[in-house]
Amino acid sequence: MTFTTPAIEWAPTAPFIVVLGAAALAILVEAIVRTPATRRLVQLILSLVALLAALGLVIVQWAMLKGAGTVVLEGMLTVDRQSLAWQAVLLVSGLLGTLLFAARTRAGEEAFASLGAASPGSTEETLARRKGLQVTEVFPLALFAVGGMMLFTSVTDLIFLFVALEVFSLPLYILVALARRRRLLSHEGALKYFLLGAFSSAVFLFGAALLYGATGTTAFAGVGTGIVGASGLDPIILTGAVFVVVGLLFKLGAVPFHSWTPDAYQGAPTPVTAFMGAATKAAAAAALIRVLYVALHPLAWELSWLIWVTAIASMLLGTVVALVQTEIKRMLAYSSIAHAGFILVALAGLPDQAVWALPFYLFVYGLATLGAFAVITQVRERGEDGTVLGEATRLGQWAGLGRRSPWLAGAMALFLLSFAGIPLTAGFVGKFVAFGAAISEGGWPLVLIAVIASAAAAFFYVRLVVLMFLTDVPEDQEDAIAIDYSPLARVVVIVTAVAIVLLGVVPGPVLAAFENAGVLLIGAAG
Amino acid sequence: MVDTVIFWVIAAITVIPAFSLIFARKAVYVAMSIVLVMVGLAAAYITLDAPFLGVVQIVVYTGAVMMLFLFVLMLVGVDRREDMKETLTGQRWIALFGAGGLGAFLIAMVARVSLPVAEEPLVGEPDVIAGVLFERYVLVMEVLGFLLITAAVGALVLTHVPRLKPRKTQLEVQRDRVRVGADPVNKVFPGVYARHNALDVPALDPQGEPIEQSVSRVLKVRNQTQEGAHFRARLDDPSRAGGSDAEHSGRGLSDPERLDPDRLDPDRPDPEGSDREEGR
Amino acid sequence: MDPINFVILACVLFAIGAAAVLVRRNAIIAFMGVELMLNAANLALVAFSRIHGQVDGQVMAFFVMVVAAAEVVVGLAIIIAVFRARQTISLDEPAELKG
Repeated sequence: MTFTTPAIEWAPTAPFIVVLGAAALAILVEAIVRTPATRRLVQLILSLVALLAALGLVIVQWAMLKGAGTVVLEGMLTVDRQSLAWQAVLLVSGLLGTLLFAARTRAGEEAFASLGAASPGSTEETLARRKGLQVTEVFPLALFAVGGMMLFTSVTDLIFLFVALEVFSLPLYILVALARRRRLLSHEGALKYFLLGAFSSAVFLFGAALLYGATGTTAFAGVGTGIVGASGLDPIILTGAVFVVVGLLFKLGAVPFHSWTPDAYQGAPTPVTAFMGAATKAAAAAALIRVLYVALHPLAWELSWLIWVTAIASMLLGTVVALVQTEIKRMLAYSSIAHAGFILVALAGLPDQAVWALPFYLFVYGLATLGAFAVITQVRERGEDGTVLGEATRLGQWAGLGRRSPWLAGAMALFLLSFAGIPLTAGFVGKFVAFGAAISEGGWPLVLIAVIASAAAAFFYVRLVVLMFLTDVPEDQEDAIAIDYSPLARVVVIVTAVAIVLLGVVPGPVLAAFENAGVLLIGAAG
Repeated sequence: MVDTVIFWVIAAITVIPAFSLIFARKAVYVAMSIVLVMVGLAAAYITLDAPFLGVVQIVVYTGAVMMLFLFVLMLVGVDRREDMKETLTGQRWIALFGAGGLGAFLIAMVARVSLPVAEEPLVGEPDVIAGVLFERYVLVMEVLGFLLITAAVGALVLTHVPRLKPRKTQLEVQRDRVRVGADPVNKVFPGVYARHNALDVPALDPQGEPIEQSVSRVLKVRNQTQEGAHFRARLDDPSRAGGSDAEHSGRGLSDPERLDPDRLDPDRPDPEGSDREEGR
Repeated sequence: MDPINFVILACVLFAIGAAAVLVRRNAIIAFMGVELMLNAANLALVAFSRIHGQVDGQVMAFFVMVVAAAEVVVGLAIIIAVFRARQTISLDEPAELKG
């Protein structure tokens, strides 16, 4: 057995190395820095520096990229403009998410449990809280998740895709279980998220195994050519392809693979929900694009029914169930399911435009999600004795928020209108380009349903806006709600709100940049 | 021919125990059945020219993963039976039907395919695996390292409770005990009556009164204690001296009679049994 | 013996694992079902690897084992956290989250 040292192009992998390396370093910081307060500060700075550095590297690569891109290690990893665009989207989500992770209430309370292992209501929990312990591991875990997602958007090998999927899923399972308040809900959300996530990755893996069996390779390009060249293997190729796509649809949260979404969204600490909602969807959509366009392109016609059915089901179920929700995080969870449907609409018929429309759509959607959940962290219940408690997530508690805090309510309204796709918000531009992509390949019936679903969805977004601005605070409830002030969360709200308005009014330059990302590099077959 | 037999043996020891996942009531039975499945799969790997993987399967799955499962089952409580009651009626059957359909569909799909089998396959010896692992798949290998870090940190975050109070010295422990009214010295041992096997009999204080707390609480809860008065009466009554009680005292550990049940006197009442009855 | 038979065996095991996840209410048993599904995928990978005469499939199966081990650690940690807080691991019992 002769061994030849593989030649690896390290330069294109620099952003991954920075993010994942910083995460590993941050774990060491956990061991070295002993006081929780200092450790939190060090972790926060390390995370922000790493994410900014990675974002800088991505931008530099974008500027210096000649030709289509680089294929690393015989098709294991492909860094092209598409991949760089997704990486940038994810890094922005990661940056804003990290700021939210670090946000604290006026009383200095974090969103995370002071001790992950202490069961709710135990003496250990009280002691840990009194000693000021903090689970600062959330910062490295978030970095691991961001790194895994960045890989997820760029790998071009089914087995590497599976590993990347786990690299970003495992930290998320843990993060979901760490809520400071409503621990039982948090645990339950984590358990369901974990079991369904593991189930979906097993489904994905079995599909990958079948595709490997049919084509003899797992590299996307090789699978694509293998599918064309194979004869008499249609049964396992199709089954494998469906399983792979279903595994990814689970991560996207499309119906009927959505059942983890409401529980995980509601149970998770709100910063985690924000980050997860924004970034997981983007990563899943990115991987879906790469798998569909590069590996399974010959099966476009056979797979179109799967995309059509799940797209319609997601839009309808997401919209209808969101209408009857009384809990704001659950409502946004179902709205995210409807958005998964909109994402799939853009993929119907695999139009070329979707390749650059979806990164833009998910960038905008991610910004609005982060902003909306950042607002949720600021609206809190007030106890009998005037102490500020957990987040006020029942819809009724939001009545009259416009009177209490016009700016916060205004920002929330902006995010909701962006979700709904009202013109002059970025969400409109996103939906416009995404649906335009579907129409270009004859998916107009789907787009029709999507527009109707959007209109129906606008109803429950507008209902919340009406509740905030046009409804009075209930008589005896004047003191029941406290508007918290956390500088970091406010920064996130301001940044996302400004971005949503800017991208809604003058989307041109950013859209032009994303249009450049509409080229997938189909690497040499492995 | 031999191959066919091996295949069917492997199929039997994987599929049959695997059904315990659906039907067995106790989680421990399931875990032990899955261990058998894992061994069967290891055998399958070795048959399929993957000896390295077969060994890894045994080490990782039966040795580590399933033992971890068993460990957690013990922690959670082994005897816990699963409630088979359905929250949604018929859901169980729909799920079983769906999964059965999935299985039938997969089998039908795979059975329709014929793939040419390589004549001279590469055998998965460790050095061959290592060559491929560190050439084409080296990046995956490196990324897996981050996965393992995440797993270790995650388990610590979710289950590790650090020391929250300062550790007590033995002196502090002792002071605390005395402060709440415990005896500063050792508890009195039970059983001053040497003629009885006397964990269940209270000791006597200098006044000859029984010290109730010298008998284990557990025995009291089980109603297996006796009062000292009964024995004192026997001692005081010369007419009842000797006999069986004398034999009791005469029996030491070295007494061969104790080890040989055949030689026991059938008339003599069983000291343990009778004592217990009198104690009640 | 044609190695494709092992793929069929893998399909059977995969379906049994999926059934366990869908039917069982005990989180640990459901999780063992997921493990069985991953193992079924591994068996398919190794069988296909034999069919193609490569070792790539075996290397993939090796990766899957590492991933599964990491997943087990995290999953059981979550299960223990749930159990500590609530003294039960049934997926139904505390219906604090409902659709």
